[in-house]
Amino acid sequence: MTAWVLGQRALREAWRTPEALVPTLFIPLFFLVVVVGQAGKIFPAASTGFLKGQGYGAFQLPASLLLAASFGTAALFLVEDIEGGYFDKLRATPIPRTSIVLGRLIAEVAKGLLIATLIVLLGLVFGITIASGVLGFVLLVGLTAVWSAVFVGFMQLIALKTRSAAATNSGGLVFFPLLFLTPNFVPRDMLTRPMEVAASFNPVTYVMEGLRSLILEDLEWSAILPAFAVAAVLGALMLALNVRMIRRYD
Amino acid sequence: MNESEEQGVDDAVEAEGLVKHYKSRAGVVEAVRGVDLRVRSGEIFGFLGPNGAGKSTMIRMLTTLLTITSGVARVAGVDVAREPDGARRRMGVALQEAGLDPRQTGRETLVLQGRLFGLSPQEAAARAEELVELVELVDAADRRVKGYSGGMKRRLDLATALVHQPEVLFLDEPTTGLDPASRLTVWDEVRRINQLGTTVFLTTQYLEEADALCERLAIIDDGLIVREGTPAALKAELRDRLHLTGEPTLDDVFLDATGRTRSRAAGDVQEVTA
Repeated sequence: MTAWVLGQRALREAWRTPEALVPTLFIPLFFLVVVVGQAGKIFPAASTGFLKGQGYGAFQLPASLLLAASFGTAALFLVEDIEGGYFDKLRATPIPRTSIVLGRLIAEVAKGLLIATLIVLLGLVFGITIASGVLGFVLLVGLTAVWSAVFVGFMQLIALKTRSAAATNSGGLVFFPLLFLTPNFVPRDMLTRPMEVAASFNPVTYVMEGLRSLILEDLEWSAILPAFAVAAVLGALMLALNVRMIRRYD
Repeated sequence: MNESEEQGVDDAVEAEGLVKHYKSRAGVVEAVRGVDLRVRSGEIFGFLGPNGAGKSTMIRMLTTLLTITSGVARVAGVDVAREPDGARRRMGVALQEAGLDPRQTGRETLVLQGRLFGLSPQEAAARAEELVELVELVDAADRRVKGYSGGMKRRLDLATALVHQPEVLFLDEPTTGLDPASRLTVWDEVRRINQLGTTVFLTTQYLEEADALCERLAIIDDGLIVREGTPAALKAELRDRLHLTGEPTLDDVFLDATGRTRSRAAGDVQEVTA
């Protein structure tokens, strides 16, 4: 219950700082347009089997969704709370330490749902179809939103450890290798062997493949379930590590 | 017999052999080195000391914000290390930074604080209304905190610490950085809160503040309590011990207790010329 109360506060905070929210929508769309503009002709829809009849934009959409989920602005708001003393005020209340973490993660899921829905709807406007239907659409935005909470959980660990906006921002740059050591331009079986091995060890690969499956295919549970499993396991791990860090926070 | 009864109802704050060590790159820092302290229910207690003496470390241990290396601390009879949530329900905390969220309004801040202390949405709204009246922020209650003056932020911070009607209120340097008028307003608030039955434990660097507000005080230096008593008793002790002809001030007591001299204290201040 207190987690939801704190989640509402975090949502008000996001709503009242639109300048922090706008890049989360704009940059992933920019990335999608640039990549499709540069590589779209290499992979024509008619002759590229892995596109399942859609354009290269449909194949690239998961990378943009994951990029949108990797901004982690909530962790920077947490640093502000720490620097301004509000975090101590929260720690001095008799609420479960889990609520302090969950409040921000709940808000991040809500923001993730909104951003992912807007990006996918814009994709639909430009001819991308969601082959898995309405349920697939829901799973698509849901998985993106859960992943954004996982990533914010990771960035909050940096924020709690360093208590520094600069360090948290820099730590967030880990999303570059995580996003690009994946089959983001071609399917995994078309990667070079070292890249394929690296991608197979990267959990983001499974989330990306799950998202891609929801866009290009009918409900393909063999790709969807591993994606949700990875998000759930890492989400639980981030929650546990965040709570542990708050309990030990001095 | 419960723990509160065993410890006696007259002590709002108790510390026994309280120690805090930090690990740093230079080695172990002994910030607090065995402090025994008792604050009686209903009093305004001042906790003084030079910068780095251990004031903030003490108040952060007492308010559950710092782990305790060794020793025992109780607030309203509750062990802060063993039952932190129980202690948090009995204490209000307003720290040095006036920890507020600049994007919320004053009213939202108070309602949220009430909800975190278990009030229903209706109860929290009603309590917020009472508190904005108490700290005279009615006109500013629906404005965002970002636009508040320093004094308004301090008063709002005080109000958030009072949402759950705590038995003990901890104030860490409540007037640092305020102009003289705002400082007097905060003093009035502190007195009013105390008259309503709340024990106040405050740290301050301003000796005139301690003299004006506190019934008893303790001076900490280098992690140890070096003086404790009423301001009048401490001054009398200094006058008698040094055979002074005039009445010493609390400044004199402080300087004597911390081994500082007026010339050394003055030497700490660099005169800046254009």
